Amino acid sequence: MVSCMERGGRIFSSFHRQARTEGDRSIRARLVIAVLLLMLPVAFLFSLSAGASDASLVALLRSIFAGEALAATDTIIIYDIRLPRVAMGALVGASLALSGAVMQGLFRNPLADPGVVGVSSGAALGAVTIIVLGDTFLAPFIEPLGSYALPLAAFAGALATTATLYRLATRKGRTSVATMLLAGIAIAAMAGAFTGLLIFIADDQQLRELTFWGLGSLAGATWVKLGAIGPTVAAALCAAPFLAKGLNALALGEAVAGHLGVSVQRFKHVAIIAVAAATGAVVAVSGGIGFVGIVAPHLLRLLIGPDHRYLLPASALLGAVLLLLADTAARTVVAPAELPIGIVTAAVGAPFFLWMLLRIRGIVDL
Amino acid sequence: MIEASGLSVAIGVKPIVSEVSLKARAGEVTVIIGPNGSGKTTLMRALSGEIPYAGSIRMNGNEIAGTKLGQLSAMRAVLPQATSLAFPFTVREIVRLGILDGRPGGAAQSERLPELALERVDLAGYAGRFYQELSGGEQQRVQLARVLCQVWQPVEEGVPRYLLLDEPVSSLDIRHQLVIMEIAQDFARNGGGVVAILHDLNLTAMFADHVIVMSGGRLAASGARAEVLKDDILARVFQCALKVNALPGGMVPFVLPQTACSGAP
Repeated sequence: MVSCMERGGRIFSSFHRQARTEGDRSIRARLVIAVLLLMLPVAFLFSLSAGASDASLVALLRSIFAGEALAATDTIIIYDIRLPRVAMGALVGASLALSGAVMQGLFRNPLADPGVVGVSSGAALGAVTIIVLGDTFLAPFIEPLGSYALPLAAFAGALATTATLYRLATRKGRTSVATMLLAGIAIAAMAGAFTGLLIFIADDQQLRELTFWGLGSLAGATWVKLGAIGPTVAAALCAAPFLAKGLNALALGEAVAGHLGVSVQRFKHVAIIAVAAATGAVVAVSGGIGFVGIVAPHLLRLLIGPDHRYLLPASALLGAVLLLLADTAARTVVAPAELPIGIVTAAVGAPFFLWMLLRIRGIVDL
Repeated sequence: MIEASGLSVAIGVKPIVSEVSLKARAGEVTVIIGPNGSGKTTLMRALSGEIPYAGSIRMNGNEIAGTKLGQLSAMRAVLPQATSLAFPFTVREIVRLGILDGRPGGAAQSERLPELALERVDLAGYAGRFYQELSGGEQQRVQLARVLCQVWQPVEEGVPRYLLLDEPVSSLDIRHQLVIMEIAQDFARNGGGVVAILHDLNLTAMFADHVIVMSGGRLAASGARAEVLKDDILARVFQCALKVNALPGGMVPFVLPQTACSGAP
């Protein structure tokens, strides 16, 4: 009887608490993040075990947990080929989704994405410059940079385009979506023209490299490449939590963000550099993988709301999971050949983007 | 006290506010009135530390141009004329944005504050609604609740804090106009300072302890309400033959907000 009353009281108080925190989605957000944290290792192992070779999940798990030796070829396939690729996939997916979420917060618009507004094209121009002209007159400059030259050049390209775009599209703290998209198109076209020029003068070997790279692929992943982008991406991922509060305040406009104590100019600079670094690194190693940066944050906004304290980590996690799944699909659908992953993400992501446009047409208001 | 002296603001090369000196004391409601384009909002933006200015503005003795934004945000909260919102936040999430880090009171009080603030602006039970679904007037009150969260205690550690309100009642019905102005008055009675831009001269007459009249970017008049709300000043500034305390002729009905407010002096 007493325990029954106690329980009744507890139910009542939990009900009461729920009523008091109406409109507070932080508990749901934490739950979603926890689920994503569980999904990431699962997707990681799944991706690691799938592929043209039949190095199986069971054998892999046995080797990790029971100490059973893997066959020599399986060891090479898993540790030297698949592991760097899967790790790269997780990093690339996390960066893509995170830079999407940050950029959307910065531009105050759910359609802003490095791929859509030309930042990736800028990064690509930087990367192609190094690939094509790396052995020519630029050699003395990039020799000392070693494997960092490519991500650095892509970063420079991404930084230049993001800064230009922001300068063009934002006036008095308001970003015009029409200007942003149009400026993005123009910037992408300009970067594309220069990239085309470089492709025109490239030799056959470079051409082949460029074509596959441009479609977006994780196929070239190696430990060296992973090492080259790892620090940049890690820095951008680490910067994200510090951007959350500023992005929340910025959702109310630049003036209000200032009233709330955010140093808006400095904040924008940091956010733009973080986005450019992450985008540059990702484009340098994986080419044009589109739409992850739009799909992941948008799905999460529907699920847990736009509070960036939760949206940013959740986006990074969901981006990683999505890209691991997409890469697994790219490797297995037409095995033993493989599709460039950019085709997979575009095939799924582009219709999603159109659906979003339909839903929020009122906001876009071109 | 907020004290401006020789304050001038130019946007581009165009001077918007010229040589304005004013005092807005803690414990008082200071109301800025004036015709459209007289520089009221620009003056307010300068007082809030949002735009660069020439001259001097001191808030509690600190020159605000040299004060860090974080420090400033602990000292004053600002309600802009209009606020746009980028993403689908709930009402509670918006109001919560007003709670800044490192405020005294602890997390437990912080978590209750949004509900208290919403109740204050007569929006109890709206916490779970989406901001974009609300009417313009409701949105304005949500923003006020957010602003109140930022400076919930009018005096903190013996230092007064300020509410800067740019047309806080512009899209509200008459009852909520009074509710909001009473919140401002309470804030001042409890030791905080309020600076509000109003277009309604009757509300000004009811709630202002101190009235500042702007005209053409300059201070046209300043003083207690009885000194400023005079036929000649109003006629000159608003270019409209207004008469204070005069009944309209004929049979046209008129309604004064004063009649609803028993608490008004």
